[in-house]
Amino acid sequence: MKSTLFILLKSPYEYHDLDIIKTLRGGKAAAILFEDATLFSVCNKRRTDLLDVVDDVFVIADDLEARGFKDKAGEGTQVIDYPHAIDLIMDEYDQTITL
Amino acid sequence: MGILTIQIRSGTMMNMDSNVALKLAKAAIEKGHKVKIFCYGEGVTLIKAGQNPKRFPNVGDILEELASSGVEIVVCETCGYARGIQRGEEIKGTKIGSITNDFSQFVSESDRLVTISR
Repeated sequence: MKSTLFILLKSPYEYHDLDIIKTLRGGKAAAILFEDATLFSVCNKRRTDLLDVVDDVFVIADDLEARGFKDKAGEGTQVIDYPHAIDLIMDEYDQTITL
Repeated sequence: MGILTIQIRSGTMMNMDSNVALKLAKAAIEKGHKVKIFCYGEGVTLIKAGQNPKRFPNVGDILEELASSGVEIVVCETCGYARGIQRGEEIKGTKIGSITNDFSQFVSESDRLVTISR
């Protein structure tokens, strides 16, 4: 089964249903959060909702800090930089899906 | 090292999507990967020469820098014409092409495809 890296760009409040991830994922699945999607990592309810449907959650440090939440990412998330994002895209997951 | 195609479907000033896409492109190049960029829909506004934002990063300058470092950057011709972007108005090193020829070739040659879109 292919592993999938889901790319999220929008605010948690613009995603009404995360079950689409369960439908689309095959094998290993993670979410990588850019821009307003980094707010998933600081909102407890939405963070746990996301962690229920993927194995790992990665948060882009620059985008989190730009929104005033430096070092505030919640439990279960990993804060990374752009070079690490490239490693995930090119080496660690078979495909990406942008939601 | 691999080949990464980035499809950009958001415009220059809509949000920070184009900056995310171009930061990914830069990071990929620095790691030794080859990068191709295809702009579609509102994304075609990225290649308009003469961008002069006052409070935001100049996407045009970043795109020109990427093009000069060997990144292939192509935009959809139909999307461009629909938005009044004519041949000759594109940033140096970028190309007005087509989804059927250029994008399909990019995808067939690439190891990974990333879409930056809303």
